[in-house]
Amino acid sequence: MKRLSDRAAFEQYAAEARARWERLWSEDQWVISVGISGCSIAKGALETYRNLSLHLSEGHIPAVLRQVGCGGWCFAEPFVEVKLPGHPPIVYGWMTTDRVPELLDALRRGDLRPDWALGVRAAGAWHGIPPLTEHPFLRRQRRLLLEHAGIIDPESIEDFIAIGGYRAFLKALFEMTPEEVIAEVKASNLRGRGGAGFPTGIKWESGRRTPARPKYVVVNSHEGEPNVFKDRRLLESNPHLVLEGLLIGCYALETPCGYNYIGGEHALALQRFQRAVEQAYELGLLGDDILGSGFSCHVRIRTGGGAYICGEGSALMYAIMGQRGQPRTKPPRSVEEGLWRRPTVLNNTETFASIPAIIQNGGSWYASLGTKESTGTKLVTMQGPVKYLGVAEIEFGLSMRELIFDVFGGLREGYRLKGIQTGGVSAGPLREDELDVPIDFEALTPLGAMVGSGGFVAFDESVCAVDFARYLVAFSRYESCGKCTPCRLGTPALVEILDRIRHGFGRPEDLDIIQYASKHIIELSLCGLGQVAPMPLLGMLERFRDEFIEHITERRCRAGVCPIAAGEPLSVGR
Amino acid sequence: MEERETARREIDLQPLRRILEERYRPRDHQEAQELVVGACQEAQHLYGWVPPQAAQLIAEHLGVTINRVYGLLTFYADFRTEPPGEHFLWLCHGAACYIAGSQKVVDALRTEYRLGEDGTTSDGLLTVHVFDGCLGACDLAPVAQLDHHEYIGQLDANRLRELVEELRACRRVGSNDETIE
Repeated sequence: MKRLSDRAAFEQYAAEARARWERLWSEDQWVISVGISGCSIAKGALETYRNLSLHLSEGHIPAVLRQVGCGGWCFAEPFVEVKLPGHPPIVYGWMTTDRVPELLDALRRGDLRPDWALGVRAAGAWHGIPPLTEHPFLRRQRRLLLEHAGIIDPESIEDFIAIGGYRAFLKALFEMTPEEVIAEVKASNLRGRGGAGFPTGIKWESGRRTPARPKYVVVNSHEGEPNVFKDRRLLESNPHLVLEGLLIGCYALETPCGYNYIGGEHALALQRFQRAVEQAYELGLLGDDILGSGFSCHVRIRTGGGAYICGEGSALMYAIMGQRGQPRTKPPRSVEEGLWRRPTVLNNTETFASIPAIIQNGGSWYASLGTKESTGTKLVTMQGPVKYLGVAEIEFGLSMRELIFDVFGGLREGYRLKGIQTGGVSAGPLREDELDVPIDFEALTPLGAMVGSGGFVAFDESVCAVDFARYLVAFSRYESCGKCTPCRLGTPALVEILDRIRHGFGRPEDLDIIQYASKHIIELSLCGLGQVAPMPLLGMLERFRDEFIEHITERRCRAGVCPIAAGEPLSVGR
Repeated sequence: MEERETARREIDLQPLRRILEERYRPRDHQEAQELVVGACQEAQHLYGWVPPQAAQLIAEHLGVTINRVYGLLTFYADFRTEPPGEHFLWLCHGAACYIAGSQKVVDALRTEYRLGEDGTTSDGLLTVHVFDGCLGACDLAPVAQLDHHEYIGQLDANRLRELVEELRACRRVGSNDETIE
């Protein structure tokens, strides 16, 4: 790859990339794309890829075999997209190795196998195959960040540029001042996607106002919650989009220092982002004097080793600095004193990925999406026994009921919805009868629920509220960094009380002790994680109080999950 | 057990030294500190754990104290300072897996296989790491990852037992092969 020296060189490269991209789809050949991402690898996508490669060469089929990222439809993995000459691309789900030869044979016979198709990438139906966008899982989605996920090769900067990538960065770099960039971000009312929902533009502006140098811009791709996997899918499917957002952030702060902190356990996300950074350096979109503009930017990737706390801002910065990731008291806020005690702007992966579209289309366009206070789109993941499990991107304002029953298809047969755990481990659940609430940052708060990072868990009658609450609090206990006492000692105390109740040794006053201890933990903990650790428990207690009381007074667990049901003696385990 | 003792003694530091010299060349002390965790990950990738010799080498190479290195090794859940068993099982205990019953699998492991402090079975066959985050393969819940590549989905206590038996059987076959050679 040749390093591009100026904007004209980039335009030429982009034109060539686009021409190549269009040729790929118009030439007289088969184009077969296999979704390779964390979830599909788990379901055998690599074998499907190898098998396809073998059968294509054995059958002498002139074909281009590509890898793409994740389309979000985990339920249909591994998926294969086939573009035959004269046909639009058709996406096939559940393409395990045993189905590969059968599919290829059928296609050669001219049989498009509509029964295996998820949909066709076209505006209308094609030989009995409905458009992909009409699939129930995709119909209610609004895809900005995932628009090209599952279409472009995440390890190819050329693919990304062919579909219009890095245009927003160039627009900012050559046509806008850093102040104008920040003004657009402010106008978009984009709010932090990591959970807290702080307005991004205001954060950038305060970072810009702080005079000390150097400044740092950091992507938080740690993602350690037990029910969220959206950031790593984004990095696996379109890493350049995140990198472009980071570059625009660095430009707005006029700093050459960008970081991405990626959880060490997300190996593929890490590898693909690394590759993206290397390619951007090779092409001259990173490094010194980018495209002759005089602006320089360097991106470093740092990883952690499995500590949930490192997702907290100040802890994450200590982790980058090679210290134990433990939070500190605030103020000073990190925009004043963050990484290496310099002004640092830290945003979630998804926040950065939203930036290019804002710069490209304008802040007011973005603000027109979603609701008034929660603008734009949100990546959400739903876990539990739902029909269409996966990552979805929705406009804010969709109701929780629509999200569960329309987008994720409701619960699978034989399951009855009991509730939805919201906000990762940082908020309470919603009962089945409370689901008509719109998904935005404000509407969920009065109910003790939260959008958080967009990780929702649907649970059914087979889940015991007491046991689930224990699971969620036990997570916080295990992941407590141990720095401050309320969290270090408070969360084990809550788990101990819950264990007592689960084992049939609960006392009526235990419920008061839970309230009392939780209040202490919430008010006295040092960082956000401690302050919200008791929330899931308090939420469960409020929503399913009768179940707690049943455990205590009747020594009965209606779900049959708790050890009381089995008559097991009290033992303290994890 | 003997294998683990051997693993403890015989550590070839050469590959780690090469990686450090190639890719871990900090420009200043600030960057050196940023690289400690990454260097430890390289060591764990090479050896399956971070042996004391490797920790010492990393400390010397990056010019930080050995205390700093161990401070990090003991803070992060992913690092091992003891050699793992022959096989490594990453058991996902995320919310999706919990809903699907991973707690029973975790309990079965603890009671039936008497895991030690470091999660290794007493015969050194298997090291289990219960992963509190999410492996991101929720469609397969409860799910585990064996030896960093093979996924086992819809896991329950029975399937786990079968898996351990399979691993044991392979081990027996493996050692027979050696005697034939």
